[in-house]
Amino acid sequence: MIFLKEILLGNAAIALGAVTAGVKVVSGYPGTPSTEVLESVAQYNRDGKIKVEWSVNEKAALEIAAGASYCGARSMVTMKQVGLNVASDPLMSLGVIGTKGGMVVVVADDPGPISSQTEQDTRHFGKYANIPVLDPSSPEEAYEMAKYAFELSERINLPVILRPTTKVCHSSGTIEVDESRFEDETEGFVKDSKWVIFPPLSYRRHLEIEKQQGEIADIFDRLSFNRIEGDGKYGIAAGGVTYAIVKDIIDTYNLNVILLKSGAVFPAPAKLYHEFLLRVEKVLVLEELDPVIEEQLYHVLAVNNFHKPIFGKLNGFVTPAGELKFDNTLKIIEKFMGVRLGNVEESIGTEGIELPLRSPVLCAGCPHRASFYAVKKAMKGKKIVSCGDIGCYTLGNAKPLEMTDTCLCMGAGITIAQGIKKAEPDTNAFAFIGDSTFFASGMTGLANAVYNNTDINVIVLDNLTTAMTGQQPHPGTGKTMMNTSSPKIDIASVAKALNVGFVEKVNPFDHKKAVKVVQEAAAYQGVSVVIFEAPCVTLFKSEEVCRIENCIGCKKCINEIGCPALYVKEGKVAIDDTLCNGCGLCKNVCPTGSIK
Amino acid sequence: MDILIAGVGGQGTILASKILAYAAVIEGRKARTGETIGMSQRGGCVVSHVRTGGSHSPYIPVGGADLLLSFEPCEGARNIAYLKKGGKAAINTASITPVSTALGLSAYDGDKMMKYIAENSKAVFIDANKLAKESGSIKAVNSVLIGAAFGLGVLDLSEESLRQSMKKNIKPSFLDLNMRAFHSGVKEVEEMRTKC
Ligand SMILES: Cc1ncc(C[n+]2csc(CCOP(=O)(O)OP(=O)(O)O)c2C)c(N)n1
Ligand code: SF4
Ligand code: SF4
Ligand code: SF4
Repeated sequence: MIFLKEILLGNAAIALGAVTAGVKVVSGYPGTPSTEVLESVAQYNRDGKIKVEWSVNEKAALEIAAGASYCGARSMVTMKQVGLNVASDPLMSLGVIGTKGGMVVVVADDPGPISSQTEQDTRHFGKYANIPVLDPSSPEEAYEMAKYAFELSERINLPVILRPTTKVCHSSGTIEVDESRFEDETEGFVKDSKWVIFPPLSYRRHLEIEKQQGEIADIFDRLSFNRIEGDGKYGIAAGGVTYAIVKDIIDTYNLNVILLKSGAVFPAPAKLYHEFLLRVEKVLVLEELDPVIEEQLYHVLAVNNFHKPIFGKLNGFVTPAGELKFDNTLKIIEKFMGVRLGNVEESIGTEGIELPLRSPVLCAGCPHRASFYAVKKAMKGKKIVSCGDIGCYTLGNAKPLEMTDTCLCMGAGITIAQGIKKAEPDTNAFAFIGDSTFFASGMTGLANAVYNNTDINVIVLDNLTTAMTGQQPHPGTGKTMMNTSSPKIDIASVAKALNVGFVEKVNPFDHKKAVKVVQEAAAYQGVSVVIFEAPCVTLFKSEEVCRIENCIGCKKCINEIGCPALYVKEGKVAIDDTLCNGCGLCKNVCPTGSIK
Repeated sequence: MDILIAGVGGQGTILASKILAYAAVIEGRKARTGETIGMSQRGGCVVSHVRTGGSHSPYIPVGGADLLLSFEPCEGARNIAYLKKGGKAAINTASITPVSTALGLSAYDGDKMMKYIAENSKAVFIDANKLAKESGSIKAVNSVLIGAAFGLGVLDLSEESLRQSMKKNIKPSFLDLNMRAFHSGVKEVEEMRTKC
């Protein structure tokens, strides 16, 4: 064994743990904060022995990993928390059927939320599907848990959920990398009726799996990911990265408390919880998202018929939403212990200074800005609802474009638009969807519109990549995570094959033509699809920049398109040449032709 | 030692934090970083936390940072609460005005913000964009600022480990340019120190 010390992001640590455990098939769909897990596996896969792929969506990805596991190969699937909603159908059934080769389902949660639609807690999915959940507190532990998860999965013949949160995924730690690799031969698929789900089989398996839960809980009682540390009167129970924060607070202020760390969190290590509860006078539960550990502790009290006061989310002692950071956690601990420890109030404040708002924006030169602007111009004065979707283009909601009226979940734009059109027939229902989202969950919605004769206008924002999550390839790009190529799937051809009557492809920077095509699409009776094709600026960096001469200071350019490269200097508008991409969109706006 | 790096999405704070953290690992210590990856990278506010003192969690408490490195004046001011009282700071004076300011929705007064930072910390202000461009690329702002931090004499890292870390974390074709940027940052700060 060779040990190398590396600074690794939590996501890279999970990838390396899986590679060390001999993973053979890795599938996933990008989503913050999970994306770098699969990308790191692809980086470590120098000899190409691991089959790595970005699947079209999470449901496909999970099923691919399941198929590989059926053959006895170790497999892993990666996604963000909302991805598991999409993959929940196969997950629920897989929890009944079970697996053969170790299978790890990496689902990253996002307390805050920082880059997500929802603040949902994947630990509930473990309980819902009877699948064990491991919840790392640091990149180092994530590495150990990733390796262990494969062993556990093979021991119990069930998939195992590894649930890091943003502060584990996107923080890095010092990891001693084990260069050895677990190796075994894949047996291959062995035909057996146990792989075919039928009601009688599900009943039998349900009985077995419920019994198994107790056995897994016994394993978790003895696992070092779960432990009791320290001494004192009071107890604190913590899970995930909150454990690390509580440890820092205990170290900083030399606190005497009994700390329960819950890392293998479902099924609950009930005997360990019982021992902890017996030793303490009262308990504070600190965990992000939902009160999962807290409910488990109440359950242990009820089953064992005794009482200890528990302070947490259920009695309003701890905030039910948002992140637990060092400073708010410290305040909660102070209140719980009845002591004053920190002096956060005395730190340098920012009250004395006015700070401008800095929200995320579409990049300078982003093709989505040109597309939104073309639709806005084309539909000026008309009644229109713009149903948005998920991707960089969600930022089209911001001032001054304000071209996103709804956003729900991936793929919903096309179908929400149909609902709006049905309820309000005299409106122009527009749906905006990115190329990656189109392949993930747009095609079925489009088929639905054609089938049900709903007159909507679909705008596909094809920037030739999955930009929001960091430029992943997708079926329209023909590039794969194995460094191979596949036939590109053409979105226009897909739309035509689905019998869409109006299909046009146009470059959104060709402003006049873009406006004209949108007007034709809106006039067309039936489903229309306009594909705005132009690459994301991160794919190619243009050397050209635009300049402004003889500006009259009307600010029309800023007020109409809001490109971040445009700024006001002494009453006139100037272009920041470190940001400008020379896209030329602003030239179409300037009434005096001052932009060259 | 706790270092907070602040900037605007796209400026390259993550590479700076990796270089600092890995330099500590080269010196046999354990390091952690906490990054902003996601939506904010599209021109929003980003911070990187670098901790080399054996902490369990990756995020620096308010009032805990020994050093604030800021790629942009306003983001330096926004994050000053993380700095210890009397802590040191190296601030890039090149501003990036947000779209909200161009639209007239919020005011941006760079001089006022820098004055506030100066009053509340031991700060040096350098035009890191200019120095980076002179070294060969605007992308080298992070190396200029690391150089400035080193020049300030607050880093508990040797020049040699920083050099090795840069070598490991920067593409070979960009290494020379970044080393030049690093030295220009060191020199700029040293000249300022001799002046005052
Ligand atoms: C179910 C689900 N899976 C994954 C994500 C993460 N995610 C956010 S945007 C996005 C894709 C965006 O790609 P695209 O539609 O091409 O738009 P772009 O960002 O390139 O403009 C993904 C995968 C999500 N929000 N929901
Ligand atoms: S050309 Fe105009 S719109 Fe395009 S990036 Fe430059 S400033 Fe922005
Ligand atoms: S990353 Fe690409 S798609 Fe996203 S905002 Fe920037 S240019 Fe637009
Ligand atoms: S639209 Fe033209 S004239 Fe008006 S502020 Fe912009 S550059 Fe100046």
